[in-house]
Amino acid sequence: MIKLSNLSKVYRTDEIESTALNEVSFEINEGEFVSIMGPSGCGKSTLLNILGMLDKPESGSYQFLDNEVAQLKEKERSDVRKKNIGFIFQNFNLIDELTVFENIELPLLYNKVNSSERKKRVNELIEKIGISHRASHYPQQLSGGQQQRVAVARALITKPPLILADEPTGNLDSSHGNEVMELMCELNEAGTTIIMVTHSAHDASYSNRIINLLDGQVVSEKKSKSVQAAI
Amino acid sequence: MFKNYLKVAFRSLNKNRVYSVINILGLALGLTVTILVFMFIKDETSYEKHWDGYERVYRTGIKADMMGQKMDAPVSPSPMANALRTEFTDVETATRINTINQEIMMRHEQTKVYIQKGVYADSTFFKIFNYEFVHGDPNTVLKEDNAIVLTEETARKLFGDKSALGELVNYDNRQDYVVKGIVKEPKGHAHFHFDMFMAQNSIRNVWMQNNFHTYVKLKEGADYTAFETEMKRNFIKKIEPDVERFLKITVEKFFEQGNAFEYQLQPLKDIHLYSHKDWEIEQNGNIIYIYVFIGIALLVILIAGINFMNLSTARAGKRAKEVGVRKVTGASRKMLIVQFLTESIIQSFIALFLAFILVELFLPGFNNIMETNLYLFNDHLGMTLAFSLGVTLFYGLFAGSYPAFFLSAFQPIAVLKGDLTKTKGGTLLRKSLVVIQFTASTILIIGMIIIFKQISFLQNKDIGFNGDQVLVVPIQTDPMVENFRNYKDIFLKNSNVLSVTRADYYPGDTPNQNMYAVEGNEEQFPLWNLGVDYDFFKTLNVELLEGRKFEREKESDSIPYFIINETAVKTLNLENTVGTRLGTFINQNGDMAYGNIIGIVKDFHIEGFNQPIRPMVLSISNNLWFASFKIAPNDMSATVDFIENEWNKLEPTHPFRYTYLDQKFGALLRQQENFGTMFLFLTILAIIISAMGLYGLASYTAEQRTKEIGIRKVLGASVSQIMNMLTKDFIKLVLIANIFAWPITYLLAKNWLTNFSYQIDMPIMPFIFATILALIIAIITVSSQAYLAANSDPVKALKYE
Repeated sequence: MIKLSNLSKVYRTDEIESTALNEVSFEINEGEFVSIMGPSGCGKSTLLNILGMLDKPESGSYQFLDNEVAQLKEKERSDVRKKNIGFIFQNFNLIDELTVFENIELPLLYNKVNSSERKKRVNELIEKIGISHRASHYPQQLSGGQQQRVAVARALITKPPLILADEPTGNLDSSHGNEVMELMCELNEAGTTIIMVTHSAHDASYSNRIINLLDGQVVSEKKSKSVQAAI
Repeated sequence: MFKNYLKVAFRSLNKNRVYSVINILGLALGLTVTILVFMFIKDETSYEKHWDGYERVYRTGIKADMMGQKMDAPVSPSPMANALRTEFTDVETATRINTINQEIMMRHEQTKVYIQKGVYADSTFFKIFNYEFVHGDPNTVLKEDNAIVLTEETARKLFGDKSALGELVNYDNRQDYVVKGIVKEPKGHAHFHFDMFMAQNSIRNVWMQNNFHTYVKLKEGADYTAFETEMKRNFIKKIEPDVERFLKITVEKFFEQGNAFEYQLQPLKDIHLYSHKDWEIEQNGNIIYIYVFIGIALLVILIAGINFMNLSTARAGKRAKEVGVRKVTGASRKMLIVQFLTESIIQSFIALFLAFILVELFLPGFNNIMETNLYLFNDHLGMTLAFSLGVTLFYGLFAGSYPAFFLSAFQPIAVLKGDLTKTKGGTLLRKSLVVIQFTASTILIIGMIIIFKQISFLQNKDIGFNGDQVLVVPIQTDPMVENFRNYKDIFLKNSNVLSVTRADYYPGDTPNQNMYAVEGNEEQFPLWNLGVDYDFFKTLNVELLEGRKFEREKESDSIPYFIINETAVKTLNLENTVGTRLGTFINQNGDMAYGNIIGIVKDFHIEGFNQPIRPMVLSISNNLWFASFKIAPNDMSATVDFIENEWNKLEPTHPFRYTYLDQKFGALLRQQENFGTMFLFLTILAIIISAMGLYGLASYTAEQRTKEIGIRKVLGASVSQIMNMLTKDFIKLVLIANIFAWPITYLLAKNWLTNFSYQIDMPIMPFIFATILALIIAIITVSSQAYLAANSDPVKALKYE
């Protein structure tokens, strides 16, 4: 699904040039659940942004579903993104002015899905993640765990083949965090590819592969414990 | 999708109530001013347009410069209309009117009514001014000399519900007229308002006496320029015999001596806004007010627009997350632009709705001040709506476009990861906009003060006479005029009647003009002449500078005696004024009668302050139709009752009428005063909108710097130090604005003052005052916010992140 070769990214400010990613190469196949780990500032988030086509690499190649996407224009990237990728953020990033239902519905609006279809799909999904009684509430009225489940639902609503999660449990206590991780596992079992940036070894243990980054370079790749145990 | 935009728009408005109120209320006030100004302009520019073929109608006039006396007046001689009708192929028709400048008592059987505005008109009048006839034939109605046409209102006053057609009405106990026609009030505005029209078709073939107004209507397709040239050429020849008869020189000599004299044409539709000549029928409007009001409307809408742009971009940080999320979930930049524009347009339309309510609320006051009769639900409603919708849409798009492009350009990663509240973007622009806004406000403040200083200068100007407690009473009958001097003692029996006199006219009235010459010198001067009775100077408290006043015992009835004003001394270039002999015409043959100048009086005003004082000759006369009484300030109503009582015994046929001289003259300033008052209100409005915007911006700045303030306080900064820090920036902006505002206002005010013959010197004080006022407004607005921020709990501020 994803093939990176020699991908680099450099940030420049007036005086300083800092390398965020340095010649990163790896592949991710469809149906995988991959965690990206590493200390603060190692380039995890940069990598995730480039994978999500929110940012452009400096050099190198990024093949997404067999197409080269590294140097696409903003509009083209936005089109690929809209159809294929769902995002989940550490701080949820729900729109405060929209209700739970409307937040989840939003990507469908931008994908021009008609109203009855939207209603059907949002209701189904809300049911599935167990927050249907909260459908007309606003984000501020929900607990952190509930907010993140709404965010997950929003990422899922267009049924994207790939989900990118940036520390999805970082703002949650452990029980809420586990709820979210279990939800992600279910998704993965249903066939969605997931790439997750995390600090937490516990969270990473839900995935089937872990990529460790340090100073912008991949230092190790290994199957996670649970996968190893299954083997 | 659109529904989603609407939803977010309304929820976001609701969530940020302070900003919403500032934006919407500011815009609503701006739109209110714009709509009012639009309605005012629509009304002011609608004059004469209801007459058929009004674009082809012109009023004739005279422009002359004779012996240094300038005259520019819309007047014409008796035979001109007929000459226009018969001697020019381009003329469709022409009409001549002669206005009656006082109210007239009309009587039908026992019903006596004073009618305000009567006019003598020839038979073609209704061919140009096509009043709608209820009864009668407009083509023939004024052909017979005893014919009169009444408006419905006048007919109702005289006849009640009875039919008036064919009935007799009596004019001032002098002449009977037959009612030949009834007309409706015209549908639109005109530069005259007549209540009755009396036929007057006789022509006196004198070209140098200009007592009439003449209107000419050209044929369709006629060449205006060719006609104008032909008319000037033709008519200037007609005055030759008169020039030779009265001035006793040839026309060539007349022009050689540096005199100028020409006939002019003036488009009918331009009269109301552009014509400010001598002897206008009524006081016209003024195009300057239109320009000033357009200027104010633009400034107010600019100020409100700047609020909108500033607050939207300042708030960008708060919307940044939303932009990021929307982008990540698939929104294109275009979609976001559409969304933000939708929001600004929604706000604009809420403002428009409010504006219409405000217009309805303000209209009575506006009408009161401007002496207009505007109402929203009139024939122009469609156009007013279309205009305000246009402005609103333009406003929504224009003011909304900057925030829309600014916000939609955010990069989602930057926004979603780090907080974007620290964005520096737009700071310089915001500052520039505040400067523009305060420049606009300061211009209005300085302008307002200068306008008020000028008006108060005119109000307090030495007008040369004292009109307080002076009653002016029109005399209605010949016996009263002839015997008035004998009746004076009847009134003076009451010790509260201090003085009694008469005159041709008074300050605030339309003056007369005549030709005069100094004995032994052929040069003739057009000077104003005012016939007065004894005690005129005492009654009006006009100061005698030299010589003596008119005194009955010292004067013979057969010789004229003259008193002239200071300006006339200069015009006639006299050295030993008293004793100089002055002559004036006594008949149509050009014969002159000479008399002594016996005194000089201080200049006093007759006209308003847009005209300089004219050279004036006062002479004693017994044929005077306006009496005046100076009464004591105590117990005035009893004194007036006494005068009325005695008067009614002497002139029982006509009910007693009076006006106060000070009010009559004061009316000349009213248009300026009204303008000043309106300017004041609009300026206050503009300042309120500016202050609201500054308040919003200051509260935003304080909010944005919450963390900084917290850190500073933890490190030991005092409340006043922090307030100082927050206020300083804004004060700088206000000062910069003043640097721009001063020269702009100076030029505008200088220009405005040239409208007055008597103007204040450009004062420095209003400039300084306006700067201080702007600073005070800014400091109060900003420091209230700064105070809250500076007093906030630093612990909370630091946890805020």
